[in-house]
Amino acid sequence: MRLLLAFILPLALLAPMAGPARAGGLAIVLNSGDATLSVLDMAHETELRRVPVLREPHHVALSPDGADLLVGDAGANEMLFLDPRTGDIRRRVPMADPYHLAFSPNGKWLTVTGLARNQVDVYDAATMALAKRFPLSTMPSHVTYAPDSSMAYVTLQGTNRLAAIDLRHQVVSWTAEVGATPAGVIWLNGKLLVANMGSDHFAVVDPVDGRVEQRIHTGRGAHQLFLSPDRKTLWVNNRVDGTTVALDAATLATIHSYRVPGGPDCIDFAPDGKLWITQRFIQKVGVLDPATGALQSIPVGRSPHGIFLTGAR
Amino acid sequence: MTDPFSLAAGWLTETVLLPALYAVGGMEWEEVAFGWALFACYGVAQVAVTFAVCLPLERWRPVERWPDQKAVWVDVLYTLLSRVGVLPLVTFVLFYQLQVGLNGWLSDHGWVPPTLERLVPALLGHHLLTFFLYAVILDFSEYWRHRLSHRFGWWWALHSLHHAQRQMTFWSDDRNHLLDDLIGFAWFTAVALLIGIPPMQFPLLVLLLRFLESLSHANARLSFGWLGERLLVSPRFHRSHHGVLAAGQQSANYGAILPWWDVLFGTADFDRAYVRTGDPSAEEALATGSYVQQQWAGLRRMARMAGWTGPRQAGGFKRGH
Ligand SMILES: [Zn+2]
Ligand SMILES: [Zn+2]
Repeated sequence: MRLLLAFILPLALLAPMAGPARAGGLAIVLNSGDATLSVLDMAHETELRRVPVLREPHHVALSPDGADLLVGDAGANEMLFLDPRTGDIRRRVPMADPYHLAFSPNGKWLTVTGLARNQVDVYDAATMALAKRFPLSTMPSHVTYAPDSSMAYVTLQGTNRLAAIDLRHQVVSWTAEVGATPAGVIWLNGKLLVANMGSDHFAVVDPVDGRVEQRIHTGRGAHQLFLSPDRKTLWVNNRVDGTTVALDAATLATIHSYRVPGGPDCIDFAPDGKLWITQRFIQKVGVLDPATGALQSIPVGRSPHGIFLTGAR
Repeated sequence: MTDPFSLAAGWLTETVLLPALYAVGGMEWEEVAFGWALFACYGVAQVAVTFAVCLPLERWRPVERWPDQKAVWVDVLYTLLSRVGVLPLVTFVLFYQLQVGLNGWLSDHGWVPPTLERLVPALLGHHLLTFFLYAVILDFSEYWRHRLSHRFGWWWALHSLHHAQRQMTFWSDDRNHLLDDLIGFAWFTAVALLIGIPPMQFPLLVLLLRFLESLSHANARLSFGWLGERLLVSPRFHRSHHGVLAAGQQSANYGAILPWWDVLFGTADFDRAYVRTGDPSAEEALATGSYVQQQWAGLRRMARMAGWTGPRQAGGFKRGH
């Protein structure tokens, strides 16, 4: 007993000292170009350490129970399971080309797009067993779900189409042409929004049949769409123009366009209202304050892509 | 402290490649474009470093002196095309759909290409060691590709373009037939499916290895000493492979970076030193023709050697007589 106390006491004393540095939480950045993860201290906006992975990590997703942070290493054909609080790698699982990944809202499915293999894999999230593989041409890029988890929607960059996968029957319901080089896709207010990277807009798509109802201009190279945590603002990154645009999520009217150079890609939202944005081609993570438009950039590894803020949830 | 190559590649991508891809409707290649820009930036650095070291060496202790160096210029073109990435890009585009199909088919059959680190879990976390092992394995596979390219008549016909050069300099390393490059790419793809693609954490080491390959072709009297000659391929060692007597279907010193495989498989020749280079059985166009003439001559020779057209010609001088 005394031994145990002797062990616990110093730890208890240390804990408050370790506290302040973690006050703002950590940002975990996936450096796709040099096979590392950058772990940043959000409060001080500095890099704490760099964790080596195998080859080419692109996207990140938190497991439904919040216990694991999944990082897809597409180049290594490997899924990494990280501790979401520290960024430490706990487990590695061989998996074919995990480029983009997302869990269904009900937590039942994990859908993984294989950009370089023209396939979309649907896994049973509880067992990580492959439920079904869908060959989809070509370059399946990003995935999102219907709120009731009945459908998954995948953009096909190479063929300008959006594919709808019926998860109950595990079949492709339809594919429809949505615009040039579709990349990011999200569900908003009963519609699908698809960012067309080969154009300057995102398409508003009917989830029933894939018909494009509207096209909303944002800027050249519209790449990915993100909804703010309060669900009031829609953010769109434009790769070619180097801008991040804020739109009213209810009306889809543009509120403001911010200059974010270096090919802005993924976004995560900090509790203080700032946006953390990866800047692919200048090896930085930009911290954008929407209130002032100020952009503070933190140097990270080569071609940073996915980003996850531990303090955000 | 940001890597200057990545910064240059990023700048190139953001200001030139991305707007160009957007204009022609090829935005799905944006990630590939950045990879290519990096490759090109390292390529420029490789050429610059090689030039800065090898040119003085060749001036200082040349093996051969030529009245003019007209035949060298085409090798400069070969070097720029392949190191600055025009040829690798073409090869990649040609192979892309094939690779995607093959990868998809393999993963349908349960094949997830491993990495060396997953085959040997003890390597996890030891990146420098892993890189070194990849370099050794890839060099071993290159030894056999090179050896087989001398062995088969049709393949030798293509590779003889590399050997036809009588004014061999550090520019000659990338002097290869396009079809031979394609075969090399397929060969690498096959190896990658078995052991994965090496990590890119050490671009400077890749630069060093590519430098050694260029140096081994330099027109310079340079030996690494008795032990050094057996550890790394030197200009003296590789020149023997390019000697007029070694040009053909039986040769020696096939190693690209490590002479170990030649020692191991009995193809090493450490005795012949600073010989004249070239392939006496090659038609003149292969040696001194323009880029296009050389490519055509290579194809013609391949057709003859494979017996598709005309009489099958001898594969050049046999060794050991
Ligand atoms: Zn040879
Ligand atoms: Zn050679």
